[in-house]
Amino acid sequence: MNKREFLITLEAELKDIDKQERMELLQDYEAHFEFGLEEGKTEEEIAKDLGSPRGIAKEVKASYHIEQAKGDGGIQNILQATLAVIGLGLFNLIIVLGPFLAIVSIIFSGWIVSFAGIISPLLVLIDIFITSSFELVNLFAAILFCGLGLLLLVAMMYVTKFMKKIFIRYLSYNVSIVKGGMKGD
Amino acid sequence: MNVQFKKGVLELCVLVLLDKQDHYGYELVQKISDQIQISEGTVYPLLRRLTKEEYFTTYLQESKEGPPRKYYQLTDKGRIYLQALLAEWYQFTNGVNHLIKEGVKDE
Repeated sequence: MNKREFLITLEAELKDIDKQERMELLQDYEAHFEFGLEEGKTEEEIAKDLGSPRGIAKEVKASYHIEQAKGDGGIQNILQATLAVIGLGLFNLIIVLGPFLAIVSIIFSGWIVSFAGIISPLLVLIDIFITSSFELVNLFAAILFCGLGLLLLVAMMYVTKFMKKIFIRYLSYNVSIVKGGMKGD
Repeated sequence: MNVQFKKGVLELCVLVLLDKQDHYGYELVQKISDQIQISEGTVYPLLRRLTKEEYFTTYLQESKEGPPRKYYQLTDKGRIYLQALLAEWYQFTNGVNHLIKEGVKDE
């Protein structure tokens, strides 16, 4: 691999990250090649010592997306951060994907149950129209479920927020393990 | 040595080198790779991250030959962080050395 191939591959792999950050990083590598050439090394030797641009990009992306997710906590950023961390290796696939799926399904089912409760009075209404019979106990049960659903809705808002935070922290802990566990943040 | 493990040590190496004097990126990479085997490319993202965390500041210096050199300078915050990492490092290596000695004695 020569200088051009290295830089082009790295740039392509880093297309998701902030433009300025990408440019600055590419400049660092470009300068590295120039210093190496001055010392009489060939482009191929320098590229070989630098290591795979894909591997470099993977780590840069993982840190970048976690920073983004920490910043705004948006679903898209969390998803990208998760994918980036999983991309670091098989080890991460196992210890990240499992917790991720578990958290997502818990949150998802919580929301579903809450919505089902809230709309249950509506179901009683539909029931009246369809069967044209009315059971008072159904209405009471529905009102009860509706109330519980609303309570759960409020709880789920907090739970979702909390889980998001925990998960982002878990992701960055994960990257720090992969980096040698001496990151200190 | 294990590649992942070495990446954590890399941070310590960079901080220690900058504690003595300012260096530019290429110089840092060379000094480290003279001593331990690393993928040299991982140093630059590390330098960017530590700069963002305000452990370093950078300044450019033109040189007669080649591109301008981006020098890294350790900040006070960086020095404090280095001390913390060093303490952790000594504790860790002392522990491992102790275990090795005991292991050797038993044989």
